[in-house]
Amino acid sequence: MVCNTIREILVQAQERFGGQDAIRYKTGKDCIESKTYTQLREDSEHFSGALKAMGMQGKHVAIVGMTSYHWLVAYFGTVNCSSVAVPLDVALPAEELCELIDRSDASVLVYDEIRADVAALAKQKCPKLQKVISMQKEEPDSEADAMQRLLEESACGFDAWANPEDLCTILFTSGTTGKSKGVMLTQRNLAENATCLDMRIPSRTVILSVLPIHHAYCLSMDILKGISLGSIICINDSIMRIAKNIKLFGPDMILMVPMMIESFAKKLEDAAALPPEIVKKEVFGERLHTICSGGAYLDPVWIALFEKYGITILQGYGMTECAPVISTNLDWNRKPNSVGKLMPNCLAKVVEEEIWVKGSSVMQGYYKMQKETAEALTEDGWLKTGDLGYVDEDGFLFLTGRKKNLIITKNGENVSPEEIENKLSRHRLAQEVLVREREGVIEAEIFPDLEYASKQGISDLEASLQELVDAYNQDAPLYKRVAKLTVREQEFEKTAARKIKRH
Amino acid sequence: MLEKLREIIVNYVEADPEAIVPESRFVEDLGFTSFDFMSMLGEIEEAFDLEVEQREAAGLRTVGEAMEYLSRISD
Repeated sequence: MVCNTIREILVQAQERFGGQDAIRYKTGKDCIESKTYTQLREDSEHFSGALKAMGMQGKHVAIVGMTSYHWLVAYFGTVNCSSVAVPLDVALPAEELCELIDRSDASVLVYDEIRADVAALAKQKCPKLQKVISMQKEEPDSEADAMQRLLEESACGFDAWANPEDLCTILFTSGTTGKSKGVMLTQRNLAENATCLDMRIPSRTVILSVLPIHHAYCLSMDILKGISLGSIICINDSIMRIAKNIKLFGPDMILMVPMMIESFAKKLEDAAALPPEIVKKEVFGERLHTICSGGAYLDPVWIALFEKYGITILQGYGMTECAPVISTNLDWNRKPNSVGKLMPNCLAKVVEEEIWVKGSSVMQGYYKMQKETAEALTEDGWLKTGDLGYVDEDGFLFLTGRKKNLIITKNGENVSPEEIENKLSRHRLAQEVLVREREGVIEAEIFPDLEYASKQGISDLEASLQELVDAYNQDAPLYKRVAKLTVREQEFEKTAARKIKRH
Repeated sequence: MLEKLREIIVNYVEADPEAIVPESRFVEDLGFTSFDFMSMLGEIEEAFDLEVEQREAAGLRTVGEAMEYLSRISD
């Protein structure tokens, strides 16, 4: 059944599956705890009540943490009381997170203690922040309120319905200008995207959630769709332990990005001489039968390989701006080279090879970025995806390339080359910098300032530039690190506007 | 420890074990993807019976840094 608010998704699931497990997570090595649908609903209602009691209802609430039960309580508690959740990438440097907290006008910060550094810095750098809540602290102190205590004190709960057109979530995505953009999604954008397509997934399906929770794909498909189906959502505690947690939780289904699928494919290829059923059991456990792939394009060769081991890969396509799924293959209706058929709530057309989409999942715009919003959305509501492709006679969507410079890594992260270029160019030695993706990794090509090098007595240019790249990598999240450096001997060719010609 | 690390590393990347030295950089020299690198840390946890802290471990750049980190947390 199609829902148009997030509260509707949670309430319907709770009414059907109340005392049954909704969330399972590890509390120690091989120890699993769980929370039921009723607990999730009640705890999130208590969080809504706490926000109201603090005078924070309707405000923006930044959430910084790994996927956890507390994270989910904060998210549902926020959006279900007409406040706006701002899920942020837990792996970003503290300075960058504070910039996003400030730019999103967050009044409340809910943080995981692993990022206590962010809470401390935000108090200095984010003047609009009024409340700071720790997910783990048992008692409030001078630094932060304690989430557990707030839930207990707000035992009266909260019962109000948001409007489907209310803004409910701002998700930051890398922009082509180098400054990340806050994608504004309404209740309807997210709720309908998660519930408008019947994928014939049975209730009580066990899902292992391995993607970062601040990603639209994880939030919408693992969490919102998972809950709408009455699934058991198991939280992978670390990207380091996926293989181990597959054995521990025994999932039926996992959402992955191509980089993960390719990594598992290598294991399958290494064990090609062994019987497929033994390999499958060893690598994926006995139950796993479906992997949904999104975030970036997956080479269909892997779909065929996994098929041999009885695992169906359903390749889909989407972007945060579309909350996020635009199309997906289905078990009973798929083409291996395609990214599937359009979602029922989505229309598409091809304009000069670029795919444009329209429908109830298309964002409101970028938060406080009118120019960028006008570039992405037409006046009559078409979203320009920046992807090139076509639709075949059967209605399947095929992608052929990107229109913009944005690098989409194999783990589905969007990386703005300009952002890295700007950071590397701050050093005098780097006169001109071009960042791009080459052979699956991020490469920086740098033309050094030879005059500066000479004045400074720098003889080994490559070593000095590598030091500069190393210093950048030290603070950058893994997916934004530069893996390859090329030193140019000549200036880059420029356009008439003196910009480096990228292609 | 280097020997044991070499055994684990070659499960993820195509590298001559003898060519893996403390100075080898995981991404730049050995060709690790970020996901393979994190998966390897999970295998290291098992092999050395240790608990690796993800944020700290994500900053390890070279085999030598990994050796130093593992020695430190195993003390």
